[in-house]
Amino acid sequence: MNVILETVLRLAGWLLIAPLLPGIINKVKAWVAGRRGPPVLQLYYDLARLWRKGVVLSTLASPGFIAGPAIAWVAVLCAAQLLPLGPAGAALSFRGDVLLLIYLLATARFCTAWAALETGSAFEGMGTAREVSYAVLAEAAMITAVLSLSVHTGSVTLVTMLAPAAGAGAVLLGAGLFVVLLAENCRVPFDDPNTHLELTMIHEVMVLDHSGPPFAAILHGASMKLLLFALLLTEAVLPVGELSPVAAAGALAGGVLAVTVGVGLVESLLARFAFRRVPLLLTMAFLLCLFALLVAWKGGEA
Amino acid sequence: MTPGLLLFVAACALAVSIVAGPKFPRVWLALVLVGTVSLLGSAVFVLSGAAPAAEWRFAWAPGGDPIHLRLDGLSAIFVALVSVLGGAGAAYSLTYWSDHHYPRSAPRGRAWWSALVLSLVSVLVASNGLHFLIGWEVFTVSAYFLITLDRGWRQVRAAGWLYLAASHVGTVCLFAFFSTLSAKTGSWDLGPLRDRADLAPLLWVALFGFGVKAGLFPLHIWLPSAHANAPSHVSAIMSGAAIKMGVYGLMRFTGWLPQPSGFGTAIISIGAISALLGIAFALAQNDLKRLLAYCSVENVGVITIGLGLALLGASHGHAAWGQLALAGALLHVWNHALFKALLFYGAGAVLHSTGTREMSRLGGLWKTMPWTAALFGLGAAAISGLPPLNGFVSEWLIYLGLFDSVTGRGPTAWAALTATLFLAITGALALATFVKATSIVFLGAPRTKAARHAHDCTPGMRRPMLVLALLCVAIGLAPLFFLPAISRAIGTWNPAWANIAPAAPLATLTPVQVAIALLAVVAAIGLSWYSSRRGVPRTGTWDCGYALPTARMQYTSGSLAGIASGWFFWILQPEKRLRRPRGFFPLESIRLERTPETMLERVIAPFGGGVLRVSTAVRRLQHGHLQSYILYLLAGLATMAGLVLVLEVFQ
Repeated sequence: MNVILETVLRLAGWLLIAPLLPGIINKVKAWVAGRRGPPVLQLYYDLARLWRKGVVLSTLASPGFIAGPAIAWVAVLCAAQLLPLGPAGAALSFRGDVLLLIYLLATARFCTAWAALETGSAFEGMGTAREVSYAVLAEAAMITAVLSLSVHTGSVTLVTMLAPAAGAGAVLLGAGLFVVLLAENCRVPFDDPNTHLELTMIHEVMVLDHSGPPFAAILHGASMKLLLFALLLTEAVLPVGELSPVAAAGALAGGVLAVTVGVGLVESLLARFAFRRVPLLLTMAFLLCLFALLVAWKGGEA
Repeated sequence: MTPGLLLFVAACALAVSIVAGPKFPRVWLALVLVGTVSLLGSAVFVLSGAAPAAEWRFAWAPGGDPIHLRLDGLSAIFVALVSVLGGAGAAYSLTYWSDHHYPRSAPRGRAWWSALVLSLVSVLVASNGLHFLIGWEVFTVSAYFLITLDRGWRQVRAAGWLYLAASHVGTVCLFAFFSTLSAKTGSWDLGPLRDRADLAPLLWVALFGFGVKAGLFPLHIWLPSAHANAPSHVSAIMSGAAIKMGVYGLMRFTGWLPQPSGFGTAIISIGAISALLGIAFALAQNDLKRLLAYCSVENVGVITIGLGLALLGASHGHAAWGQLALAGALLHVWNHALFKALLFYGAGAVLHSTGTREMSRLGGLWKTMPWTAALFGLGAAAISGLPPLNGFVSEWLIYLGLFDSVTGRGPTAWAALTATLFLAITGALALATFVKATSIVFLGAPRTKAARHAHDCTPGMRRPMLVLALLCVAIGLAPLFFLPAISRAIGTWNPAWANIAPAAPLATLTPVQVAIALLAVVAAIGLSWYSSRRGVPRTGTWDCGYALPTARMQYTSGSLAGIASGWFFWILQPEKRLRRPRGFFPLESIRLERTPETMLERVIAPFGGGVLRVSTAVRRLQHGHLQSYILYLLAGLATMAGLVLVLEVFQ
């Protein structure tokens, strides 16, 4: 009974907290710009509105156009259940779960890309081409980051890997993972979630033709992915697993808030990069993670 | 029923089917199915442990050596694979390459098909170097005749010729390998020789010989054109089973012979390079079957990474991650065969109904070919290594082995670390490749008339695809069920690793995969149902309000892959032809881009051309004028006499 209750609580937590993050980012951006900005709960209103709406489909779209966002949403939700929450642990933890997490995010990417290309629009093609290409570098950086945590702790289970702090390489790892977070969640300087100039976008342009409940699934999935990356970053850097439950909860909340505010600040202070410079930035993230790996390696030998 | 009896039944059925094939297609199919099912039965007997590994010796001695057969865990893995693809391909070919469409080549094709399956199995069970080579040669030749079934086309003949030539370069190495082996051991008989350290260097020769067949980079030169130009059921068995013979050879002899120093590192490096460059080439292709062919180079690379890591584990005494890597490699042998054959059958159905393999001439086929689109999509997700399908399970095992090796911080960690990074990039590129292949062919708007008037595959072609798709799902959802078979093969490869299960929590992964699959299906159906509760109005693609989108405005296969394949321009060496629109009233503008076979066109062909030029120059000396020949003789004698004289003087 307890297990069921715990699972329900976890799911509810993920589903309900996630849409808060884009709201906070927007508030920070508004605050920096001296505007009042949309309410923090704006995404909840948007999701509720979209969920009630009907769907308009392109004549070209196959059943995969709606199935794609649904499966992508499930994949992100399942990936989130593998992520431990401090001393509370993960809903499910086993050796090698970290690889399942990364590959579930890849499944989500495959499904989003599939759905985007259903419409036969050049805009969506453009977005997909960018998404799947930049993901190559982002995934390499991600695997390197995970490998450095693995080397640091000698484990391939997320609960053990994320419990202690990342050691001497924490700054490098944190910086690398933050850049990956920005790229994977389509934030500035990789993508601008605010523009509606299709030529400059990655993620937004992939979902141009989605509407109604499937679009709600996409937006909600994206916010869960942001929360997942923010938590992963926090837990990789801070020794969350070794704190008392209350302190850990505080550290998690504070870390996620700091990451979110950081994203907002980056978005306020930086302009989006030209696309030809995106691979360079991602390569830098990869190198940061690689150096974190080397530091973890050396740290273990000493 | 015993494995031996089943093998005998299979051999008889397949032998009869060679004779009966050309005249009676249905009898042929029945015989091939009987043969392949009994083959599968014998493999299952050995793999499930119901019957131990078996050896048979006969008095009959073709070629002067008595026949010695052996079916153990390792060969049974490959026998199972040959039998599944042999049966499925036979069923598929009956409608795909029917007597009605190909009255001349179809009967011939059936006979060669049976010969191919029979010779593949004979290679797998042969335990005598001489008979291994005979089986190998028969298999190479029957594959040649299957590739060139449609030999009216120039490029088909060229592909077949290239395959035959490259294969024989490999075979020469195998001749050297087996004859040296027999000279050193005093017998052609094969078996474990793990304590003969003097035999270890021979593995380098075997690596080249088997590497050509396996299509490891840069020995893959024959593979893309042969796979692209062969009929699709032949491409499927070539890619699924025939190139796996190279992998089998490597696994067999690395298991039986001691390794030379540095062999594991070499194998893992070759694997990593094959995987990365194979998928880079695949991504840049515009021909659907050529893309799938290059992807085979990648997958063999992934298998080789696993094998290399297992070799490192064996030589450094790390059973735990060595086993994981070998388990991943063996499972990937099966997985790749299943989804690659499925994808080739899908590509065959597309080719059959539209007459083109050029992806940029297709598009929107899901409407007319829903079955093919769905099954191809499933295969694409599986080959991209996505959970909850089978490709993920084997890559996960290999990753676990690599991670354990890195965290172990032994002398092997650096090789494992590099391979992990290569594998990560390969995985993401594979996803990009298959997003491109599926979407350009099956989604969006039809780009040509042929694509608009396509028709779905017939039930005869659909059934084998369904079987393969089900197997992909089955291995994905129940990997635990297949683990005993893999463990048995691991035990055959290295007896020290028998009876220890790989340290992978497959028992946990199995329910997780099932749960993910169930949730995904429920969510997809639920959301579709909920979205259509008020009816779904359909209209043209919104396209940011553009009023007249046409099919030609869609992203093409080249543009979709452009960013990522641009990173590999140094090896892809794309040829571009660009004529920009000029003047106030431009008439025509051209932009062509082609990815050449870099290794073949830029390395092998110039080298071959050079050899030919030198030979032609030397050949001028021989022209049939007797007087000149006498002059050569005199000149030669005079030179020798002069040399002798000079040497005498100096001494």
